[in-house]
Amino acid sequence: MKFSTDRETLLRSLQLVNGVVERRQTLPVLANLLVVAKDGVLSLTGTDLEVELRCRTGEVDIQTEGEATLPARKLADIWRSLPDGSSVSVEIKADRAIVKSGRSRFTLATLPVADFPSIESGPGNIELNMEQGDLRRLLDRVSFSMAQQDVRYFLNGMLLEVTGDHTRTVATDGHRLAMCTLPASNDGSGVTHAIIPRKGVIELSRLLDEKDETVSLRLGANHLTVSREGYELTTKLVDGKFPEYDKVIPRDSSRSMVADRETLRQSCQRASILSNEKYRGVRLLLDNDQLTIQANNPEQEEAEEVVAVEYSGDHLEIGFNVSYLQEILGVLGTDQVRISVSDANSSALVEGPGNEDAVYVVMPMRL
Amino acid sequence: MAWAKVIAHADLDAFYASAEQLDNPELRGKPLLVGSTSGRGVVLTASYEARPYGVGSAMPMAQALRKCPGVLVVPPRFERYQELSAKVMATFYDFSPRVEAISLDEAFLDMTGTEHIFGPPQQMAERLRQAVFAATGGLTISVGVSNTKYVAKVGSGFQKPNGITVVPPDQAQAWLAKQSVSRLWGAGPKTQSRLQAAGYFSIGDIAAAPLAELMEQFGSMGERFYALAHAQDPRPVRGRGEARGEQDSSGERSGSMSSERTLTRDVVSRKDIEAHLTRAADRLARRLRSKSWLAGGVRVKLKTSDFRSLTRQCSCTPTDSAHDLLQAALQLLAGFDEPGPFRLVGLAAHSLQTEASRAQLDMFAATGPARRLEAVLDQVSEKFGTGAMQRARDLSANTLVKEPPNLDFMEDLGDEGS
Repeated sequence: MKFSTDRETLLRSLQLVNGVVERRQTLPVLANLLVVAKDGVLSLTGTDLEVELRCRTGEVDIQTEGEATLPARKLADIWRSLPDGSSVSVEIKADRAIVKSGRSRFTLATLPVADFPSIESGPGNIELNMEQGDLRRLLDRVSFSMAQQDVRYFLNGMLLEVTGDHTRTVATDGHRLAMCTLPASNDGSGVTHAIIPRKGVIELSRLLDEKDETVSLRLGANHLTVSREGYELTTKLVDGKFPEYDKVIPRDSSRSMVADRETLRQSCQRASILSNEKYRGVRLLLDNDQLTIQANNPEQEEAEEVVAVEYSGDHLEIGFNVSYLQEILGVLGTDQVRISVSDANSSALVEGPGNEDAVYVVMPMRL
Repeated sequence: MAWAKVIAHADLDAFYASAEQLDNPELRGKPLLVGSTSGRGVVLTASYEARPYGVGSAMPMAQALRKCPGVLVVPPRFERYQELSAKVMATFYDFSPRVEAISLDEAFLDMTGTEHIFGPPQQMAERLRQAVFAATGGLTISVGVSNTKYVAKVGSGFQKPNGITVVPPDQAQAWLAKQSVSRLWGAGPKTQSRLQAAGYFSIGDIAAAPLAELMEQFGSMGERFYALAHAQDPRPVRGRGEARGEQDSSGERSGSMSSERTLTRDVVSRKDIEAHLTRAADRLARRLRSKSWLAGGVRVKLKTSDFRSLTRQCSCTPTDSAHDLLQAALQLLAGFDEPGPFRLVGLAAHSLQTEASRAQLDMFAATGPARRLEAVLDQVSEKFGTGAMQRARDLSANTLVKEPPNLDFMEDLGDEGS
């Protein structure tokens, strides 16, 4: 195999594919990328057996067809370090890969192509097309609420729900829940649920940008494949039952306050400085048209912020992890925010008035 | 000169081997190894008669048999050692209310203020030695006495077996100076060779070096070595129930708590591993509850028969319930793709934290009956003894798991000084 190209053509692809490759692998070949040059197209594939990403491009000059596996991190590091606009050639000789650019020359070890595993994704049950921006929105509005290494393994990912008229994502770590719903006219009837593992969500989000472009999703029994121009990402799905999220979304909004989102976000930000570094608790005191945020830490330092809000209920004190509030206030796209609670021991509903595509639920902290 | 503190370190001489020789007169005066008779595993203890052949504890049994042909090998009887150890520890408590057991065969005693009862250090140590000999029917100890734990410990190893070494505080640094760097607390074989490569052969070499130089060469370890070489060791003797490990201001305790066992025979089946994990989860949860700590995560460790350690860990809603720990452990167990056989099964609770972490409510939390049941079992155990009441499930586990000695108190020491 031999091909040549300029540095920029493959830089982003190499970095994206490299993102999938784990730093520590169970099989040596998983540290490598599969590089295939065939029929005028060069493809690069990286995998960790859970997520597989393949990039394809025709913008390389293939002199000899062929295939090989090359060390992913080293190749990406070399590529990145070359000067802008360099032309680079890659050639396989016996079991070595030779990368040349200007007066630089690198000889890399390869591993047998036959050892490189591929995810067998099986047939798709559902196929969807959507705007790239919509999918990105569905991911970015909720992904920060995914659990990490939680023993409830089905929380270490994001629920994708597809019905005839909407596409929805939900993520929760038990302390907070995020849900984003976009209307859609999907094929088929009934409800399909899939849990995309944490890593699949993160890599998918990296893959998407703001360009006007349609992406296609193919959802099978055990896999999800997302394709966009030049890229194909396949992720295994988490085999588990996601909690019945609609049961934890509070319907009682007897006490409801509306505040300017940015003002509240900044107040939370300042109060958080003096909250307990680990538990991050702040106390919210609601009174007529006024919200007071109090924080203190083990050193007995204290912060107090008063924010003007619309509220006409009775006095209420409730505690929250301020980081959860900050994250939600950071992703909500609206000018205002509405927080509805029933009492100090029940969950709060956080949403942007007039833009209900994303809603958030936060469990309080006992004070 | 009056000592501000009097700390003794008492160490049973070749404990397991001596215990065997005590119980079986035919073994007395002969080279003897305690360890697995199958020829695998390591030497647990070598009798003093075997030591001239160059064998010692932790040496692979196969190697020891080559070095000392014809040596007698007896399998360990941990129940018996525990029984003897309990007698020894009880004897120590006759001398001081503040006894810190380090393992079955060694302990620190804070003897400060007992001079009026037991006499000056030399006499005090002599009485301790005689008392242990009498209580056990013939086991000997070596004792080191000084004003710090560190010097006392080095002292007890100075004239083994059956020796007493008293190091007065004002002579401690000079006495230490002659000792080899292998006597530095916290210096394993690797660090020792690094120290020697840097020109430090005796503890005196370290005492003579500037602190900045040691820190440059050995980081924070260098700082510790410097203090030790100057006979400075502020660690107090911690009696029963005295908390170890500092909490930081956020209430999270660094480190973890673990319960692991090298098994009497390798296990392969999931059922056998589960039996060990069940046992470990019970132990850990009991210890968490007794210390009012919660585990924010669980780690399972398996060691294969060829000594490869594999671990899997996860985080969990902070808990002190065996049920929760076990559920997490079983899920982690499913994540190992190694078929075994395994020689060690371990379970650790990590991200230890205080009750404050319970403040965050969880929307899917379902704590309740399991935790309450365990708290009741704690009370029953306290009143009627461990194992007085067990789950029916564990009855079958008991036939699979031979109960080895409870060395959990050793593991609690794991993060000390780090």
